[in-house]
Amino acid sequence: MRILRAAWLIAAVGTMLLPVYVMLVVASAPDDTDLRGLVFNGFHLPDNIGVLFGEGNLPIYLRNSLILCVGTGLLDVIFSAAAGYAMAQLSFPGRRVLFALVVGTLALTPMVLVIPVFLIVKEFGWVNTFQGMMVPGMISAFGVFLVRQFALGIPKELLLAARVDGAGEFRIFARIAVPLLKPALITLFLVHFLAQWDNLLWPLIVANEQELWPLPVGLANFQSEVGVTYHLTTTAALVTAVPPFILMVALQRYYVAGLTFGGLKR
Amino acid sequence: MRTRPQATAGVALTLPVAVFFVVFWLVPFLAAIYLSFTDYEMAGTPNWIGLANYERMFADPGFLNSAWITVVYTVCTVVPTIVLALLVAVPLSKPGRLNRWLRALVMIPAVMPLAATSMVWVIIYSDRGLANTLLGLVGVEPQSWLTSSDLAIWALVVMVVWKSMGLFVIILTAGLQALPGEVYEAAAIDGSGAVTTFTRITIPLLRRTLLFVLVISVAGSMQAFVPAFLLTGGGPADATQVLPYYIWANAFPYEHMGYAAAMGMVLLVAMVIVSALQFGFLKGGDE
Repeated sequence: MRILRAAWLIAAVGTMLLPVYVMLVVASAPDDTDLRGLVFNGFHLPDNIGVLFGEGNLPIYLRNSLILCVGTGLLDVIFSAAAGYAMAQLSFPGRRVLFALVVGTLALTPMVLVIPVFLIVKEFGWVNTFQGMMVPGMISAFGVFLVRQFALGIPKELLLAARVDGAGEFRIFARIAVPLLKPALITLFLVHFLAQWDNLLWPLIVANEQELWPLPVGLANFQSEVGVTYHLTTTAALVTAVPPFILMVALQRYYVAGLTFGGLKR
Repeated sequence: MRTRPQATAGVALTLPVAVFFVVFWLVPFLAAIYLSFTDYEMAGTPNWIGLANYERMFADPGFLNSAWITVVYTVCTVVPTIVLALLVAVPLSKPGRLNRWLRALVMIPAVMPLAATSMVWVIIYSDRGLANTLLGLVGVEPQSWLTSSDLAIWALVVMVVWKSMGLFVIILTAGLQALPGEVYEAAAIDGSGAVTTFTRITIPLLRRTLLFVLVISVAGSMQAFVPAFLLTGGGPADATQVLPYYIWANAFPYEHMGYAAAMGMVLLVAMVIVSALQFGFLKGGDE
């Protein structure tokens, strides 16, 4: 029974990893004659990466993706921390309306919103700009909601004691709440970064200039850039997968916390 | 107890978020409803045409085809993904050194960007790729996975099942590990078999996590754009033209914004109904 279970799990996880292995093999191939991706034919991955970084736009796509993801990730953390904390711990006019607005947006699909948001961005003159790519996605309902749920757990006495000591509300937020919210904020940054790293639809719509493309849009057009060279396309895909992988390894605990947030907590 | 400094700080801390959600969510949502009743085409001004877009939809073979493909795609990605993920997660959630390693490995496919994995699956599905190599081992002719109108949709489905599985295994494993161990000990003492334990104890206790996985899985499939865009471009002959792809194609390359907005509203209403059904269905057992 035990052995059977182990065998099944190894087979299942092995199958799940097979495409990742194929990616490594094809990305390391000297050319694209063998696309089965089963057997390594030398290890030319460094050469292939060298080719991609020597010529072509991959470094530009990588830079754009980093600007986009780190930039909007930090903005989301800052604004969601402020709003989530206030919605959980402060009483102010309009709190209920705001909560309804944020939760309501969770039900909306981007397919409904991209058309009017594009028209708004166009009205602002932001088509083909970084702010056009970044601003509409810089705050997530998920983030505000995540921080709010987490901030509900901050003991009221702690805040009350600080108030009695004469600390101002902004000081209490910055000095007491933010340190306590740190795990939620790291989780939010990670979830935001990973989602934005893989965001194809919005940049595709708002950025027509190659100079602005992040990696997903660049990859989608890669064939036309380097010709049909499957091994180099695969190397580019591998490069795209590396930053999320590094973040996940470094912040594994927060990654699982972010994924399971909706499923376990209430 | 509402005090002045609290009210001031509360408004100040939430103001950016409030403005953001009004400008980029509430206004666009209302604008989408309005546009769906107009003939807006990007150039020119929107003219009110009442329900014409909605009437047009149900006579448009492109829309009907896309709606049907979305239904097939959603059912055929959600059901196998959840079943397979459960079959892996239940044994994987047990303690042990091997399982700890395997749980870490499962995260690798889960964290890979869809844009990157799509490129890899293009290779796997290519004429000389892994899919045909494996079929060759059992003596089946090579297939044109992404350019055959019969196979392309199933090629997408297999990729998406693979991609979502890692994610769902992690979520379900975490849910299973959070279940109280005493219940299982009691069941073992009562001589409950593995299958009985699974159907009578694990599934009911895991209901909340399962509901969560089901909801995000269905919502994800109903609005999936990237796989069709990257693997097949909606083709061949519209065979993989899921509704989000059709909406995007109408709105942006073709600039039929009013019509696309109307289709977006239909998708939204369908998604709301489907989520409500899921909550009703799985919450029904809650005492």
